[in-house]
Amino acid sequence: MNLVKLLLLLVLIVNSSLMAKPYVERSLMLKIVKKYKRFAGKRFMALQNTLDRVKSGSDLDKLEAVNNFYNYVRYSPDIKVYRKKDYWATPWEFLGKDMGDCEDYVISKYFALRYLGVSSKKLFFTYVKSTKFKAAHMVLTYFKTPRSEPLILDNNNRRIFPASKRKDLRPIYNFNGASLYKAGKRGAGKKVSSRKAHKKWDQLKLNMKRKKI
Amino acid sequence: MTLFRQIALMLSIFLIIILATVLTLNFQSANESVQERLYEDAKNTATSLSLSLGSANGDESAMATMINANFDSGSYSHISLVDVDDEIIFERIAESEIKDVPTWFRDTVKIEAPIASANVSAGWSQVGILNVQSDVAYAYHQLYTILIQLLISFSIITIIALFILNILLATILRPLKEVQRQAEAVGRNVFILQEHIPNTKEFKDVVIGMNNMVSKVQAMFNKGNEELKRQKELEYIDKDTKLRNRKYLIDKLPEFLKVDATSKGGVNIMIALSGVIEANEKIGHREVDKLFQSIADIFSAHASNFENSITARMNGTEFSILLPDCSQKDALDLAHGIYDATQDSIQKVGLDTKQTFISLGLYEYNYTQNIGQLLSQSDNALTQAKFSQSNIHLEKSETATEVMGKDAWRMIINEALESNSFKFVSWTAVDAKRKKVAHNALSLTLMSNNGTKYFYGQFMAPANQLGLSSKIYQNVMHMMFSTPDMKLKSSTCSIRLSFEYLDLADTYDELSELFKKYAKALPFKLIIEMPDKLVRSNSKAVKLYKTLFEMYSIETGIYEFIGESADYQYLQDLRPVYIKGESSYFLTQSDQSLSALRLITDTVGISLIATGVMDMDTLHRLQDKDVFVIQGRATEMIELA
Repeated sequence: MNLVKLLLLLVLIVNSSLMAKPYVERSLMLKIVKKYKRFAGKRFMALQNTLDRVKSGSDLDKLEAVNNFYNYVRYSPDIKVYRKKDYWATPWEFLGKDMGDCEDYVISKYFALRYLGVSSKKLFFTYVKSTKFKAAHMVLTYFKTPRSEPLILDNNNRRIFPASKRKDLRPIYNFNGASLYKAGKRGAGKKVSSRKAHKKWDQLKLNMKRKKI
Repeated sequence: MTLFRQIALMLSIFLIIILATVLTLNFQSANESVQERLYEDAKNTATSLSLSLGSANGDESAMATMINANFDSGSYSHISLVDVDDEIIFERIAESEIKDVPTWFRDTVKIEAPIASANVSAGWSQVGILNVQSDVAYAYHQLYTILIQLLISFSIITIIALFILNILLATILRPLKEVQRQAEAVGRNVFILQEHIPNTKEFKDVVIGMNNMVSKVQAMFNKGNEELKRQKELEYIDKDTKLRNRKYLIDKLPEFLKVDATSKGGVNIMIALSGVIEANEKIGHREVDKLFQSIADIFSAHASNFENSITARMNGTEFSILLPDCSQKDALDLAHGIYDATQDSIQKVGLDTKQTFISLGLYEYNYTQNIGQLLSQSDNALTQAKFSQSNIHLEKSETATEVMGKDAWRMIINEALESNSFKFVSWTAVDAKRKKVAHNALSLTLMSNNGTKYFYGQFMAPANQLGLSSKIYQNVMHMMFSTPDMKLKSSTCSIRLSFEYLDLADTYDELSELFKKYAKALPFKLIIEMPDKLVRSNSKAVKLYKTLFEMYSIETGIYEFIGESADYQYLQDLRPVYIKGESSYFLTQSDQSLSALRLITDTVGISLIATGVMDMDTLHRLQDKDVFVIQGRATEMIELA
């Protein structure tokens, strides 16, 4: 057992030494392995490999790889996983537990794409209504340009389609954390970074900062 | 500053700092809360409005209408919709009008409403970003109201807290107050026993210790009092007849033979009983002793009709009756009365009045004479009486050539009273041991209209005898307080007030009024001297004077002390700073008597001052008796340090 852990650690160290900055830092990885056991570690290694593979690819390659990777995670409602009605999990919690709901897919995909260098201006958290399931849902939308038709990264439909192809989804509201903060900073008010831009988003940012796993 | 004040001040400052800090924190919290609210409101508006704007499907006029509707219905300073290229699609800006909030508040508290933003979409397409900023006017108004409410409530809390603190401190430190009161009293030579023993251990120990000390001091005083009373009885009372003795008469005579004597003169009757040897042989010693007692009773009974009379046994067979203010005729009548009554008594015991009889020598004295003159002239009159047929002889004093008559003095004194022609002169009382001035004793001079200067010794006796002395005292007391001599600034001065003046019904009220008006501005420390004759009565009037003087920090002194009281408790009650007695009084006291007096005066912190010390020899003899502070011509011979 100890030998396996040692080997895993060795692989992680070698792996991290090759990459300038891994998606999951070494110290955090050790904590994840300690908490979610070695299979979680393997999932993160697989993620890192996926990310490394498309690091120099186009935005579409990155979207495909990330969407594909995360859509293998099992869907499970928050009440079952976190005993909360609605909870936005950090990417580490999501992959660590290997389950989550639609927001958790969107969050993890968003941060993975941000790691890969996709501009935050292009990525939106979109509240949609699923006409198929007749339920509230969230997807990650990618706008190549502000005026172009977005691509939909959805956990229910594993493939990426332009918005016009997703008749089963009706957009309600979308937001982009980065643009909200930018807009806030333009105002005469105090720094918005110290304020709430979006309640759930702010809590998530805080959890990310605290490296919540 | 008292301990109470120090603790109260410290705790009050501490309390105020705490309350001020809480107030500041509360205000800061309210400020943050208000600003948070501003943002929350803006954010809620931004989110809900962005959802509404989404339904406009990019129709700018519809979106502008929606924004206008929101802007006009709420308190916003700015709402703008910016497209994806950062170009403004629509914008509303309003100048904030802050009413009912003072400028200083707006300058001090800076409120900046943060801008809340929300993305606006039309279907899957992005329209832009909606920015909403709330109006700060409402926030300012709300914050200012909060501040006022906080200040009011904290002021009330502070007042209540300080009040409670004061009560608590007063309760906690009450025993200390009692201890302090007792300690202060000891400092003033007042010895009070504290009956309530506090529970706080430290205070309890102090109170018990102080009570012990006070009890001991009181015991010492009582011992001295008893001893002095016993000594006075031995020194001043003839143990066979219970009449006063020769020493008493001699100690008392200065009161009648002084420059400011109230009495101009009177008659001294010297009485001798002849034929005592024969009487002893005939009826025996015991019966003769009884005869002496009955004769003494006759003398006392007859003399008692005369105010201030003194009946004393001078030696085995001689007696003296001093009758101040008594006329020749009254004295002769009295002498005859005594003679007849005595002869009856002699007859009653079966003696022959031709062998055993009394002779009465009457000598009419005046106040300018000295004791020696009075006694020798009285003896001379007695000798003449023994040889006279009636056994009564009146010898008149050689009438001193009076420079001025009564009427002339009356005129001079009245004129001086009208024109305020009295001036103060000061004599020093010197502490010969420390070679320092103890205080300045103020005396008076009178400048008549024709420019003649009269000294106290010249005008005061006529004034006394004309009943004008009280007016003089009224005049000079008013002068002393209303126009004090600034040369005496920061010194200690004494003024002697007469028995007659202090005994007047109006004097207390006059002095009260005078002190009330001027005492605070008096530039020197004042000691008012009162005669022992008045003070030893320990009357209500004396106690009133004492309270009055204490109220204005005026000390008291006693003059003409010869220690003839039946009780010396009054010294403890009055607590004079000193007792003045004639140097002859101190010099003729027995060691036991003086030591008992010392025990009393040392216990309550009274110093002894000998007056009329004329030479260094007298001073040295006084020093041998531990009397160091003197008044009189000898003070000029002491080289001061």
